[in-house]
Amino acid sequence: MLPLPAFEWVSPGSLDELVRALGESPGESLLLAGGTDLLPNMKHGLFAPRRVIGLRRVRELRGIAETPAGGLVIGGGAPLDRVATDPRVMARYPALARAAGLVASPQIRRMGTIGGNLCLETRCVYYNQTAFWRGALGGCLKKDGPTCFVVPQGRRCVAAMSADTPAPLIAYGASVELVSVRGTRTLPVAKLFAGDGVKNNVRAADEVLTKVELPPPAERLFSAYEKVRSRAAIDFPLLSIAAAAVLDAGGHVVELTVVVGALGALPRVVRGLEITRAAPLSREAIDLVAEAAHTQCNPLSSLGAEDWRKDIVAPVVRRALAGLAPSRIAG
Amino acid sequence: MTPEPHPGSTALVPLALVVNGDAVRVAVPAERTLLELLRYDLGLTGSKQGCDKGDCGACTVLLDGEPVLACITLAVDADGRGVETVESLAKGQKLHPVQTAVVNHGAAQCGFCTPGMLMSAKHLLDGSRTPTREDVKQALSGNLCRCTGYTKILDAVEAAAREMAEARGGD
Amino acid sequence: MATDDEPHPPWRIGTRAPNIRSFDAVTGRQRYADDLTFPGMLHAKLVRSPHPHARIRSIDTREALALPGVHAVVTGKDMPVKYGIIPWTQDEYPLALDKALFVGDAVACVAAIDEACAARAAAAVHVDWEVLPSVIEPEAALAPDAPRLHEGHKHGNITKSVQLSFGDVEGEFAASAAIVEGDYFFEGTTHGALEPHCAIGIWEPQGVLTVISSTQVAHYLHRELSRVLGVPYDRVRVIQPPIGGAFGGKSEPFDLEFCVAKLAMVTGRPVKLLYTREEVFYAHRGRHPMKMHFRLGATADGRLTACDAKTLIDGGAYASFGLVTAYYSGQLVTAPLRLGAYRLDSTRVYTNKPACGPKRGHGSVQPRFAFEVSLDKLADRLGMDPIELRRKNVLEAGERTVNEFIIKSIGFRECLDRVEQASGWKEKRGKLPFGRGVGVAGSFYISGTNYPIYPNAMPQSAVQLKVDRSGRVTVFCGLSEMGQGADAMLALIVSEELGVDLEAIRVLTGDTDLTPVDLGGYSSRTTMMAGNACLRGARDLGTRIRAVVARKWECPARRVALAGGFATDREDTARRIEIGEAFRLAEAELGALAAVGSYDTPKDVHGDYRGGTIGASPAYSFTAHVAEVSVDLETGVPKVEMIWAAHDAGKPLNPMLVEGQIEGSAYMGYAEAILEEHLVRPDGLHRGPSLLDYRMPTSLDTPHVHSMLVETADPEGPYGAKEAGEGPLHSTIPAIANAIFDAVGVRIDTLPFTAGKLLRAMREQREKGGG
Repeated sequence: MLPLPAFEWVSPGSLDELVRALGESPGESLLLAGGTDLLPNMKHGLFAPRRVIGLRRVRELRGIAETPAGGLVIGGGAPLDRVATDPRVMARYPALARAAGLVASPQIRRMGTIGGNLCLETRCVYYNQTAFWRGALGGCLKKDGPTCFVVPQGRRCVAAMSADTPAPLIAYGASVELVSVRGTRTLPVAKLFAGDGVKNNVRAADEVLTKVELPPPAERLFSAYEKVRSRAAIDFPLLSIAAAAVLDAGGHVVELTVVVGALGALPRVVRGLEITRAAPLSREAIDLVAEAAHTQCNPLSSLGAEDWRKDIVAPVVRRALAGLAPSRIAG
Repeated sequence: MTPEPHPGSTALVPLALVVNGDAVRVAVPAERTLLELLRYDLGLTGSKQGCDKGDCGACTVLLDGEPVLACITLAVDADGRGVETVESLAKGQKLHPVQTAVVNHGAAQCGFCTPGMLMSAKHLLDGSRTPTREDVKQALSGNLCRCTGYTKILDAVEAAAREMAEARGGD
Repeated sequence: MATDDEPHPPWRIGTRAPNIRSFDAVTGRQRYADDLTFPGMLHAKLVRSPHPHARIRSIDTREALALPGVHAVVTGKDMPVKYGIIPWTQDEYPLALDKALFVGDAVACVAAIDEACAARAAAAVHVDWEVLPSVIEPEAALAPDAPRLHEGHKHGNITKSVQLSFGDVEGEFAASAAIVEGDYFFEGTTHGALEPHCAIGIWEPQGVLTVISSTQVAHYLHRELSRVLGVPYDRVRVIQPPIGGAFGGKSEPFDLEFCVAKLAMVTGRPVKLLYTREEVFYAHRGRHPMKMHFRLGATADGRLTACDAKTLIDGGAYASFGLVTAYYSGQLVTAPLRLGAYRLDSTRVYTNKPACGPKRGHGSVQPRFAFEVSLDKLADRLGMDPIELRRKNVLEAGERTVNEFIIKSIGFRECLDRVEQASGWKEKRGKLPFGRGVGVAGSFYISGTNYPIYPNAMPQSAVQLKVDRSGRVTVFCGLSEMGQGADAMLALIVSEELGVDLEAIRVLTGDTDLTPVDLGGYSSRTTMMAGNACLRGARDLGTRIRAVVARKWECPARRVALAGGFATDREDTARRIEIGEAFRLAEAELGALAAVGSYDTPKDVHGDYRGGTIGASPAYSFTAHVAEVSVDLETGVPKVEMIWAAHDAGKPLNPMLVEGQIEGSAYMGYAEAILEEHLVRPDGLHRGPSLLDYRMPTSLDTPHVHSMLVETADPEGPYGAKEAGEGPLHSTIPAIANAIFDAVGVRIDTLPFTAGKLLRAMREQREKGGG
């Protein structure tokens, strides 16, 4: 048994109660949604909060609803399995459905939530270990030590953004709502992330991620998600790629977005894809995008197999682009 | 190496939940997992602990009908909810069809993954009338088995699905 | 007696009967060690070394003992007696006495009111360490100035070194038309049984020590507990409850068993210790990393000439079964194919890592990989089909291997035929599109070791049988049931011999107070040894019961058959009585009904050179596999599409359970080929001691295994049965390796076959070809 450290349990029944509870002791409280990330981390001694605030009873966090414009609002507490199998998500945002459906295992997808996935702790082979193991190592830059073992001279933690859903959400231009006693703010998902593996998001300690809003899909939106992992289930990505393309009636690119995860602390939006505009997404265009991604993406030893992961950026990007699936608005 | 408990935080939390159809009232420390509650407080040792951190599926139980990992579920988070464990599958002397199929196909060797595997399988069979072999593989992909190589487990779940469909009168 | 050899036609043997244990498994009623609890029970936790090599200056337990809820702390000084599974190489203390030899080596153990309290107390035990230089790589361990792990050991860091030569090796090489030579590396792997090790110690005031443990070797544990703790042999009881898988990982005594026993003796209360998953990785005893250099030759027409094998074995911190491992790594490649000559040179060294030991296919899975890939290369050089090359060299029944093991039955030729046909080999090999291919491999394995681990003249296995007027038969045996169906095997034999239904048979195993000695669940010995012991005991009882019925019927005993729940007159089948009635007649005439049976091995199955007994077995199983593999040409990701596995397990007593062993073995071989690596970092830390980082395949990863049974009648096995639990693993890995070559034309000679290695090799080959 890996004993959990003791804590005080708070289980608010409404968003209002939740933000007040969180506002009372922001630095000492952690939020528990599905628990699939937080509890293993607590069992590893990575966190020992004074309070754990459970989100399950907060009705405002649940559900998936349509926006008047034809987008979707997904509650932060919506289970990943629900996101993966919701017909509207599957029809309009197939890359998100696929990403959510590829998280870990069936049980974890039923427990874990989209809000929790967006706020997933960064991962690193030197960090996601037991307290005994980390003690034997002497700690690392992210926790209890002065040294980064991934980038030995580095002064910033490069633990990896290892969640599946951020890349497609960024590709779709989704935003998140953060609520605290201080007020409510909305951020594009891309802006939720910060480039520091110690804490790779800008959610303040007193904020809760209440919802994810997906804009209505453009006409002729095509998207895809590819996940590379060692094992076909119960595994985090070693590389994840989301792609979204808007094409005009003639099949010419209007907008192309490629987002790569499982590199450093940030999901990386591949730059320079304007070159594909106004032309068909031909084999040559896809090669150009793949080459740009290959140049810009540098997997690190934080997740291992970095040389191979670098080698496969281009083919996996090509695969994603070749597999673009249409959004069906009428779904 | 384990973080020290915070003083004063060991107050017991009262819970009321339904376990295998029985109303249970119990008070636990907040850090108690559902698996510990089942195994060590309620004596329901059918659910197994293989890794204690969500990596193996041996502790799979149904919570409000959904398969979850009891080792990374807080007991307090199960307050007011319904839990089903492997002990609930057989009704009296009558085994659930998937239990019978596992026996008849030799799909349990050491048996340690079996309770969790059965709960994932039950959830699949409750929801899907005619799962394909791929559906079965997907549904069981969060439950590691080290003995069988899965072949006979997949055979057993498929056979149970057929039998349950027949019992319902076709499809 | 002649008429008793076949008391009746088989009625139970060979049927697909359910495993009698599986009813408990599917209902959650099966009680494993951690499912047991006792009044007043304390929980124990080990304190482990954070250093790969460090001297213990002192251990301060005062703070831990002062914590409320803590009852006792023990350290190495409380049990300063060395133990080890092999009597000649005992080099472990229950808790490290002077030095810790790897990260995770246990140095102290606390007992407290609950696990959380014990964990806090363990953190409050302060060890004053003097950190010593460590040695992680096996080559470094051999350096003259290498830090020495076991200071009193007379061979430096060498656990065991074996050199043997059979036949004219150089002469045979000289006669060869082709010789392939290569280096192979097998990364270590671990068992990954889903149940973490757990033990409970109970001290009874009259001086009896009981240890309940998830062990595969209750008998050896019994001996070692007595010796180390100084409790008389006749006052120690070991109970092995159902165990949640083992695969060799629970086949020697461990720190936890001594600690719960000692703490129970100190506190007078029951004490339980359950490893965390991380601790299971430190206990390890898994497959040894091996660096192998193999030369293999053949004549132009495909006769295998000589094999020359040199192997460096990375043993980790302790000897474990290492003496045997060193021999097995060389001795167990000499069948199923005939070799003209053979030379082996195997050396096992100590390193500051978790100790390696026996994992399913102990010692021989690694060299089998090197040998079978060498064969594939040889076939390629000779321009021969690899199955044909094998066919040309298959040993015959009655023949001795080059290292003098006698092969009494062999179905390997049929194994090859079956996998060739089932896989569509002829249509596929060399003919599938680039990126997809098939590969073949074969292997053999022992059905138990001919000699026990400690020398003695007593039986290797024994059973007692009790029959009474209720119609019930109870069989008692010290064997170790761990999911393989050993209990079901005993029940099957009793049912076959005495005619009773399986439901009327109780099997009680693994309790040293109640069951006669069996040496344990290792080396695939159980069906051969406990099965034979049971067969003898049951046949003895059957003979007596039939005689009683015959007297009543006034007919010769040979006419009485016990089968199908009845005693029946074979010449007048209308005359029959229920089997319970037969038992009552027998009990009335003969008094209480019981029997014993025991088995020991034949001593004429091996050569008389030093080491010739290691690898000798009463019978050998044979296996052939074909694997079909596809390789993603862009990412290098290999996918095993299908495995066809044909196994000669002699007469399969229960085909369903034998298939389960084949499928489970092939799965585990697949896992070692593609996914699993038990890695220790250069700083001595385990790479990732969890089931997330040590990736065991899921239902989505695992290829379909098409298992096929090849029947032979082995003269030594019960009803002709041989082993099935370990042999079928050996062929899987080289079959996959050879399929990768057929698919993409590259050889990956180091395990596992990762996408990264494949992608690199394919690129290098393209560059070579293109350049």
